[in-house]
Amino acid sequence: MIRFSKVSVRYPNGTVGLDEIDLEIPDGQFVVVVGLSGAGKSTLVRSINGLVATTGGELEVSGQRVDASKKGALRRLRAKVGMVFQSFNLVTRTSVLNNVLVGRLHATPTWRAILGWYRKADVEIAFQSLERVGIVEKAYTRASQLSGGQQQRVAIARVLAQQPDVILADEPVASLDPPTANLVMRDLRRINRELGITTVVNLHFLDLARTYAQRIIGMRAGKIVFDGPPEDADDAVFAEIYGRSLTAEDLLPDVEAPATTAPGLTE
Amino acid sequence: MTSVSTPTPPAAVARPARPAPPLGAWSLLAIAVVITIVAGSSIDFTILPLFTDTGRGWFIVSQFFAPDWSFLVQTIQPMSVTLATAVVATVIGTGIALVVSFLASTVSNPNALVYRAAKLVLSVGRSLPDVVWGLLFVAFVGIGALAGVLALVMFNIGIIAKLTAETIDAVDPGPLEAADASGANVVQRSRVAVLPQILPNYVSYSMYVFELNVRASVVLGFVGAGGIGTQIAVQLARFNYDNLSAIIVLLFVVVFLIDQSSSYLRRRLAR
Amino acid sequence: MTSTAPVPVTTVTRPTPPRKWRVITIELLALAIVLLCLSAIEIKWERLAQFPENFVTYTGLMLRGALNNPLEAPYTEYWLTSLEFMGQSLAMAWVGTVIGALLSFPIGFLAASNTAPRWIVLPTRQVLNAIRTVPDVIFAIVIMVPIFGLGPLPGALALGVGSIGTLGKLTSEVIEGIQTGPVDSVRSSGATPLQVLRWAVIPQIMPEVIAFWLYRFEVNIRAGAILGVVGAGGIGSLLSRVFDQRDWDRIGIALIVIILVTMIVDAISGAVRHRIIAGAPTKAAGAVV
Repeated sequence: MIRFSKVSVRYPNGTVGLDEIDLEIPDGQFVVVVGLSGAGKSTLVRSINGLVATTGGELEVSGQRVDASKKGALRRLRAKVGMVFQSFNLVTRTSVLNNVLVGRLHATPTWRAILGWYRKADVEIAFQSLERVGIVEKAYTRASQLSGGQQQRVAIARVLAQQPDVILADEPVASLDPPTANLVMRDLRRINRELGITTVVNLHFLDLARTYAQRIIGMRAGKIVFDGPPEDADDAVFAEIYGRSLTAEDLLPDVEAPATTAPGLTE
Repeated sequence: MTSVSTPTPPAAVARPARPAPPLGAWSLLAIAVVITIVAGSSIDFTILPLFTDTGRGWFIVSQFFAPDWSFLVQTIQPMSVTLATAVVATVIGTGIALVVSFLASTVSNPNALVYRAAKLVLSVGRSLPDVVWGLLFVAFVGIGALAGVLALVMFNIGIIAKLTAETIDAVDPGPLEAADASGANVVQRSRVAVLPQILPNYVSYSMYVFELNVRASVVLGFVGAGGIGTQIAVQLARFNYDNLSAIIVLLFVVVFLIDQSSSYLRRRLAR
Repeated sequence: MTSTAPVPVTTVTRPTPPRKWRVITIELLALAIVLLCLSAIEIKWERLAQFPENFVTYTGLMLRGALNNPLEAPYTEYWLTSLEFMGQSLAMAWVGTVIGALLSFPIGFLAASNTAPRWIVLPTRQVLNAIRTVPDVIFAIVIMVPIFGLGPLPGALALGVGSIGTLGKLTSEVIEGIQTGPVDSVRSSGATPLQVLRWAVIPQIMPEVIAFWLYRFEVNIRAGAILGVVGAGGIGSLLSRVFDQRDWDRIGIALIVIILVTMIVDAISGAVRHRIIAGAPTKAAGAVV
């Protein structure tokens, strides 16, 4: 359970990121956060694992307080919270497998990490994560040789290798073309259903939000202005969140999602 | 009457006053000239001897153009010692420098005190020329190749650690953020996200330093640290300019070959 | 939707790890070379054992010498001598850099493919490479000292000639990297080639070239140290004397002087370089809009 109690984030230059947010996300829920740039959706997601420090209120994840100043506790928290980034953030000069093993670092003694001698059990977990996202055949390929969609799948495998309680995704599909974006969102939704991992995704494509979310949270100027199931989020609601009527940029270009799914996925 | 003279534009905007000449550039130039004059006179600068001193000087120079090739046989051993010293010093120096460079960057070292200490040690180390390290180590461990190796190691660490630390400062922060977000500690993050990014540059610096080491061995030999430099010093002291010139030609060829293969390898690694 | 058992469906077999043989043979070869070199050096291991003890003793002596009150005799004289010789090193390095800069500037144009024809560029580059290959101290011993005798003058000239190689190469690289726009516009207004150089090329390259000159000055201060050891003036001659006499007090003082002066000059030179490359700060940068 993720619980925000009057959480505020005020940046050093005075901008308000979050304005006294109260929010509860029960375990296993698939939440999508939407809103304009600067509305606070990225801040909301990044405060959950302490990448953005809160300046007021209390934030709890699985009963543990999120405190950016306590480094040790923060690392233990981050071990259980995985994050997928817009720019994938893979180490491009090394193999896919090594990238997924980053997810096992929290359970690996530092000397093993320095030598690159990961335990067999950890390597096994890494392989299973790759299999779950359907990209295991690329395990020894250099990450730079993969396409954007493949790199994001590796990033998801990295997160899965952590065996997390929560998965966060900060604009995970903004750099991908529409068919691939749909594949990635479908992966995230499937993982959420199969493994019951709480998932909080930050999106600016509204149709993706409506298609895949279990619950939509709309943010504007640091406050939550909508909180409900996708059926209730019609265009009028979105216009209110965005403060203007919808434009073509808020929707994915009109491309049919591919009929076949990637190998190894169950649906 | 239509005259074809250029019409005067309407004077709506007053013409700006001519700005004062840029003080910065001219005053810097003036300072530079003054320093040059002061420095030149303090060392009694003159190129007169080029024209007046025929005798001894030119005689020596002319001897250089008649190298004694038979002497080359005796240069093989010292030259191989010089090359071996350069190799060993590069290996040890680059190894230690890698660790120090991680301490000398805020990206990989969050401890402000250790960071400043590392940067200070590197600055001080880099202010000492290679010959000073040579003199120090000859005093510490006696003359011979050991002093040369140790001196070069110290000399190398300063150069490589600084260059590598600057490369670490400039890495892509994305993968670092991913490592942080998965619960890794700073050391793990450096090993997994920083090291792969800096490796090509680090190897390039190491090869550059190897070239420097071969040249520096000449210098070190003069102060007793072994290798071809010692032989040069001996031949110089005995006024055997023909032998000396043979050594120099050999040195030139060796350094040239190393430079060429090093730039070739660096170009191949850069792709 | 199947059950929630977390075993993934594996229709794809896992890949095998890539063959490492080539990497392993290269690594073994490298190790063999290093071991071979180690044996070629004939390291006297007993001396290495003495090292820590010597290091502590002598460092202590050096520090004692350096930390003694500089206003007392004979320490005042030690400090002044060190400063005097270091000043000589600075003068040597400066004059050498000036010579190198002035001579390398026109040569740089001859070595750049966009300002000189190919049949000039290629040999010029080879000459520059040749100069770069020879260490400065060789220039000093071979040419300068025989002609000019001992002292800082041959040292400055050796540094000057030695600098031509690197500065010439760097200058030619900057020239080759200029933007062609200004060159085309000046040329199309009817300027002679020399005028094109003066008005289109030189303004573009000067900041970087001057920055290189300053950096070379920093290098020459260090390179000049060895020249003193072979008699060509500067702090090197003081160093070889005090090390011969094993006068650790004076050694300590000399080293501190070298470190401090070098660091100060590096800082000033570095600041000037950054200012030249980055341009003067504009007043508008302080506007709060």
